[in-house]
Amino acid sequence: MQSSLFSLSFLVTVVRLATPILFAAIASFIAASTGIVNIAIESIMTFGALAGILGSYLTQNAWAGMLIGLVVGICTALLIALFSMRLGASPILIGIALNTFADSLAIFVLYQLAGEKGTSASLPTPTLGVLNIPVIKDIPILGQLLSGHYILTYVCWIVLILLFILIYKTPLGMRMRACGLNANAARTAGINVERLQVFSLVLSGLFAALGGMYLSLNYLRIFSKSMVAGQGWMGIAANGIASGNYGVLLLSAVIFAAFRAVSIIFSSSTVFPVDLVSAIPYFAVFCFVTIASVINYYRIKSGKVEEQ
Amino acid sequence: MTEKKQKINLSITNPKVFEVVKMVISILIALAITLVILFMISDNPVRAIVTILTGPLTKRRYIGSVIESFIPYAFSGLAAGVLFKSGAFNLGGEGIFIISGVSIAAVACNQLTTSGVLHPILCFLAAIVTGGILMIIPSFLKAKFGTNEMVVSLMLNSIYSGVAMFIIRKFLLTTTTSTIGSRDYFKTAKIGYIFEPLRISPCLILLIITTIVMYLIMFKSRLGYQIRLAGTNPKFAEYSGISAFKLSIVTAVIAGILCGMGASCQLLTQTSFYLPEQSLVGIGFSGMLLSMLGRNNPIGIVVAAFLIKYLEQGTSILYFVDRAVPSEIVAIVEGIVILLISSQYFLRGFREKKLLKEGLEKDAK
Repeated sequence: MQSSLFSLSFLVTVVRLATPILFAAIASFIAASTGIVNIAIESIMTFGALAGILGSYLTQNAWAGMLIGLVVGICTALLIALFSMRLGASPILIGIALNTFADSLAIFVLYQLAGEKGTSASLPTPTLGVLNIPVIKDIPILGQLLSGHYILTYVCWIVLILLFILIYKTPLGMRMRACGLNANAARTAGINVERLQVFSLVLSGLFAALGGMYLSLNYLRIFSKSMVAGQGWMGIAANGIASGNYGVLLLSAVIFAAFRAVSIIFSSSTVFPVDLVSAIPYFAVFCFVTIASVINYYRIKSGKVEEQ
Repeated sequence: MTEKKQKINLSITNPKVFEVVKMVISILIALAITLVILFMISDNPVRAIVTILTGPLTKRRYIGSVIESFIPYAFSGLAAGVLFKSGAFNLGGEGIFIISGVSIAAVACNQLTTSGVLHPILCFLAAIVTGGILMIIPSFLKAKFGTNEMVVSLMLNSIYSGVAMFIIRKFLLTTTTSTIGSRDYFKTAKIGYIFEPLRISPCLILLIITTIVMYLIMFKSRLGYQIRLAGTNPKFAEYSGISAFKLSIVTAVIAGILCGMGASCQLLTQTSFYLPEQSLVGIGFSGMLLSMLGRNNPIGIVVAAFLIKYLEQGTSILYFVDRAVPSEIVAIVEGIVILLISSQYFLRGFREKKLLKEGLEKDAK
């Protein structure tokens, strides 16, 4: 019990569990960077996960499935953009509606193809595998930490780096952040705010779909209903805590993943009541989000930071 | 006094008429899309749509089932409606339903009183108190510290369902079956029917009264005015002396009470035990959709709840004869209607053209 919490395999578990939360976190982050509130991440993850599996089943090629999943993720993001920016619906209400009926829609589509309502287990689906990095995998501890993960975990790491470069090191990223800080000022400076917001929403949909597909195509190898189980919201929570700080964003996502890992380890022992153990990650997110906002509140109150 | 009483404007330029027209067109579009889907998946799409729309009326037991099952959803919708109307995106209804179910089960599984009237009332009180108190947490954090209430309330939903399972397993677990659920209630806790064939119970009367009260609160009272003002323009509400903090606590308590009532209606009429993983799951989330369908208007929400449950009953009747159409199709109809009616600009150009034309005609006179 004690050993498993401080062992290498615990860290490996954290790496595995962190991937979808990291994807969700950057999906929320990129949308927020241009001032868009995308709370539909949970549903885009569900749609992406399902489309990835079904695409892979229909084409019998996991990569083609992934492409279809990405297209579905982008389409959902464009749908949100259409309704919130062109038709004047509240993005929050659109998000709540999408999140609430995502599972039903997924079950409906799954039922048409698989004849089952719960999982895609009856569909023979090629999935993505793990990647062993040639030289690094032979290094004792580092090898286990860095090699042998699922392919989309590596995609996640690459995306994390590319996103950092995009947001903080390119003119485009600077313009996007300008939209988020003060849309009117950005508009005055000649930036096409709406176009950048749609762009960031599309990226957000792309990342969220990748997060969903990590779960379905890579990690669990099937689609099962409500498999996302709040991980999209954990990403949104991480973004809320970070309030624009990329390092804090990634750190909070990893911490949430660590609590999920703790919950999984504890649930295999009989010492703790299993029902309460399953709530540990959610309780952790609750505490972190609350504490972060309390700290922020007192910092604003004491005049250390300006209220946005 | 020679002026004639102004004729009621029935053209689309009247905002209320416009709202209704928009609603009808949204529903028609949703039904058209559903029809296309039915043509794609079903061998007999005409029978499918006829069964969905008229099926529940064919047997008394079907319509009774609609009447019985829509009540908790209507309460959940009313709760979400109050919160949304006040501008609070507290999504905690789902968790409140599940955790107040535990209070109900705790009271119903103990013979606190032998009176068949008092026992259900005690269950209701337990649920209302639980709901009213626990619903405050996200709203309090939001109002005081600016915490993201959506994240907090969703996390609380998951926490509550874990806690509910824990309490049931620890204190109220049934010994007769292997399922994880509470023991059977004492007979005195069950709410009987007033009119058995249509399954009309006192809960329906309670719902009607609550709806009227909510309507009066929202549209005819000071509190309702403040809630609506805070929802449309929080800054203005703040400057006109309305305490946002107090208001958000009050709305949360009202919503929690409504959720507690809904949970009681579900648990005391439809089941005789409580299964935390099944009995109340999904009602809280559906309530948010219903509130959007009903445009946050109490009466609209209750009508929407009835219609959605009616359609669901229709699809479940259809499922006996046509396995290709699962009940989830109702969610698709619901989703399309919600997307369309919550779009401010949908059909607006049409209305503006009409307004412009009318204005020009007036000028010509």
